[in-house]
Parts: sequence; structure tokens; C-alpha cells
Amino acid sequence: MVALSHFRLIQARVTLRRGLSSTAFLRDSAQQDPTSTTHFGYKTVPSDMKETLVRGVFSSVAKRYDVMNDAMSMGVHRLWKDHFIRKMAPSPGAKLLDVAGGTGDIAQRFLEYQDRVNGDSSSTVHMVDINPEMLAEGEHRFQDHCDRSRISFAVGNAEHLDDIADASFDVFSIAFGIRNCTRPEQVVREAFRVLKPGGRFMCLEFSRVENPVLAAIYDFHSFNVIPRLGEAIAGDRASYEYLVESIRKFPPQNQFAQIIRDAGFTTIGNGYENLTFGTVAIHTGFKF
Amino acid sequence: MSLRLLTRAAAATSRTPFGRCCAVQSQTRYFQQGGSIPEGAGYSGHDNTKNNTNLQILDLALTKVHEHGWSTAAVAHAATELGLSSMAHGVAPDGAISLISHFMDRALDETTIEVDDQLHEFDSTAECLRFICTTRLKQTLPYVKRWPEAAAVLAQPQNVPLAMRQLTNLSSQMWYLAGDKSTRIDWYARRSALAAVYLSTELFMCEDRSPGHQDTWRFLKDRFENMDKAETIASKTVAFGEQFSRNLYNILASRGYVSH
Repeated sequence: MVALSHFRLIQARVTLRRGLSSTAFLRDSAQQDPTSTTHFGYKTVPSDMKETLVRGVFSSVAKRYDVMNDAMSMGVHRLWKDHFIRKMAPSPGAKLLDVAGGTGDIAQRFLEYQDRVNGDSSSTVHMVDINPEMLAEGEHRFQDHCDRSRISFAVGNAEHLDDIADASFDVFSIAFGIRNCTRPEQVVREAFRVLKPGGRFMCLEFSRVENPVLAAIYDFHSFNVIPRLGEAIAGDRASYEYLVESIRKFPPQNQFAQIIRDAGFTTIGNGYENLTFGTVAIHTGFKF
Repeated sequence: MSLRLLTRAAAATSRTPFGRCCAVQSQTRYFQQGGSIPEGAGYSGHDNTKNNTNLQILDLALTKVHEHGWSTAAVAHAATELGLSSMAHGVAPDGAISLISHFMDRALDETTIEVDDQLHEFDSTAECLRFICTTRLKQTLPYVKRWPEAAAVLAQPQNVPLAMRQLTNLSSQMWYLAGDKSTRIDWYARRSALAAVYLSTELFMCEDRSPGHQDTWRFLKDRFENMDKAETIASKTVAFGEQFSRNLYNILASRGYVSH
């Protein structure tokens, strides 16, 4: 499998078989440093390994990412992202920092909004992603765009945006990326640093479905349908199992809203909006 | 009374229209869910707007209404003037309606504070009520040229629930301040009657060009006289019921469902 071949390159070890050997490998690593571990889906891994593992997952899904999104959410992810940008309501001349931007869905919608609604051509997007393959897909999407000077791409880690100056962006967005980060609190703190005063933090992420009946249907879809779709369409069942499990491990809406407040952001009301019964939530805060 | 002193002190340093209450969180929002900041699933009390920057932005935005109208642009300009990014217009999450709702909350708070020590001068509840109504209308006066736009926004279908909440809240508060603390059976009827009086007078005021708005005050006085007549309310209910049944009968008859 593609994801596991990444480990083979990094650590020359015994021949890896599907699934089980990878867990054995991870268990060995965990014993060396038992104190600092984190979750990787339902598995427990050393904290410093998570980044590599996540990079591996997204390298393997990069080419079919958009297709898989459509298949898993039955196209609804487009509505979520449309609503996300409408809620952001970018002002003319705003500078967007799109982290974990990957294939560029949010960046594209932002620029379209600026063109169509504001008639503005001075706004810019800077896309950052930890994974070069996903970023390459993004660059590919924008290669026919008439004004390439408005978009820039950089490989980087959301937890330490070293190349980005303090107070340099009007709006920070992270769509379906923060659950993959080892330390979401660190990402939020970095967001606070790079935003201008008055700037807006916006996060679109899978969240908890409160309603028990709908939660049962959602669980069935997540654990039975999605990995099989992953196997059929992208040829990678394990990566999609990881994606589904990582959703369950992410903190619920209120807890994440508190993390945002702890970083210094000001939230209005309860700080989040549920979409599709809580399947997805938009968290937002202002730097005041 | 201490609230009054607090707000007087704050007024000295403020540069926004609602001098008396600008530095204080709108009490309407906490006690009566006036809806100035739409809060989605429900007010959880967890927001941390302790430095009230969002209220400062909205208050300053009210001063921009003449130039930019009731819109997100007014809020964005206010944010820029305070040295913040224009993206801070998000403190008015639904745009124009959030700004209008904020204005209504402020106006009601201002009215409450202003009439506080003058109510004992009036003999009857009706006179008291008329005074409170006048005070509240005077809050809208500075914005009267742009108020028709706000009324249009409030009339949009997605905003009607909020508009109704604000209006009934206003009406209840005015009756309460006028000294009506009873729980009589016609409370709903009287609340709707006052809401209708207030709304019609406000719309009249938008078009009024008379000196000192004297036509508006006369209009208000006439409406109050109508409302005073106790049988009017009862008869209105009866008349409504009668009209409704007549219409229903006519509709059914035209369809052929009524046998003669």
C-alpha cells in the first residue's frame, strides 16, 4: 500500500504486510517514548510520528481527493464550503491565509466571491499545506487562472508557520485540516499570531452529531460505506479508515470553541455553527 | 440607579450616539433575549466579549448609517476606523439585520434609562405610556431618513421572526415601564394594540415633514385615544372573528360547498 511504503523509505525495517505489521511497527516505537503519544484514528502513536503518518495518508489520497470527497459526502461538501465562504463574507482587499488548503477548494471560492460579489482584484490568498502532493493538486487547479499573482503556495506546518510574519493576514481559514494536526491548540495559537487585529479565524471541520438516531445512521455510513468506497475508488481502505476515525477523536463543538477562546480569540454567541445536524461545524473567532 | 451613574460616566468618554448606555452590555440581551447578536442554537453564556469591542464596532457603525445605509459596509468602515481589519464586520453576522437589531436593543435600553426618573410625574398609565412611546420614537429620529430601508430589511421573510420578537419585546417593556404589572387576561391584546400603535407611528414619522414633527405627535395622540377605548380591543377581536367567518363563508360558497 502507498501509505506504508513511506515508512519503508524512512525506516528500513522488516517487510511490511498490510495493516497488521504497521501496528506492530508503531507499537515498538511507542515503547521507546511512552509519555508523549497521541491518537492516529483509533490507534495510539508517538506524537512526533503523527505528522509523518498524516503526510503519508494524504500523499496516497491526493490524486483522488476531490473525487472521494464527492463520493463520501454525496456532493454535500461543496455546499458546506459555499456556506463557509458566504459566512466569511470576505471584504474587498482582504488577505486570506488558507492552511491545510490542499487542493484549493476554499481558495478558489474566496477568489470567486471577491470577483463576483465585491468586484475586487486586490485580495490575495496564501495557501499552506504540509503535503507537497496535495499542494501540487492545488497548483494544477489554478494553472489556468488569469491572475496567478493573487495566489501563492508554500509547504509548511500549521503548528509553526515560521515563514509567516505576525499580524499579516485578515482571515485565517482551515477547512477539514485541523483534526489531522497533532496539536490543534498550537494551530489556533499560530492563527492568533499571524492575524491582524480585527482578523477572523474560521475553521470548518467534522464534528459531533448530537441527535442519537442521526448519529447511528452517520456512524453506519462512516464505518461501513466510506472505507469500502475508499477501496473501490482510491484503492486505499486504510487511509479512509483513518479519516473516519480521526473525526471521532476530534473534540466536540463546545470544547473546541473553548480552545479557540483560550488562544485569545473573541467568540460571538457560542462560537460555532452546526451544518447538517452537526456532521460539520464552522468555528469562528475574532482577534480583538 | 447605579446603572445610571455608571453609564453617565461612560458617556463622557464615548463618541457614539447612545451616550448613556454604550459602554454597558445591552441589558435587553441578557434579560429578555432581545436578539441583538443572533446566537444560533441558543445562548450558552460562554462568549467572552468582555472588552466589548464588538459593541464598540456596532455603535460606531450606527454613526456610519447615514453614509452607508444599514449594511455590512457601515460595519466594515466602523471597524477600519477603530484600527481593526475590515473582516471584523463579522461581528454583525447576518449583516444589515444584525446592525438594525443592535440599534433596536440600544434604543430600548436608552429609553428605559431616560424615562426612569420621570414617570412619577404622570397621573395615568395612558399618559405614562404615551411619554414612553414618544421617548422611544425620539431614539429613531436621528435615523429617520434611513429608517425606511431598515423597515424593508425587517420585512424580509427570513427576518420576520426577529422583527416580531423585537416588536413584542418593545411593547412588553413599554407596558411594564408604564406601570402595568398586572397579568390580566387581555395582556396579549393590549400588547398587540401598543405594538400596532408604535409601528404605525414610526412609519408615519418616516414621511413626516412638519416642523418639530408635530404631525407625528398628533398622530400618536390620536392612536392612543383610539386604543384607550376599552371596548375597541374587545370589539376588534369580535370584528376580526366576524370578518374571518364571513370571508370563510364566502370562499366556501363560491366553491359550492355551502348548501342553501
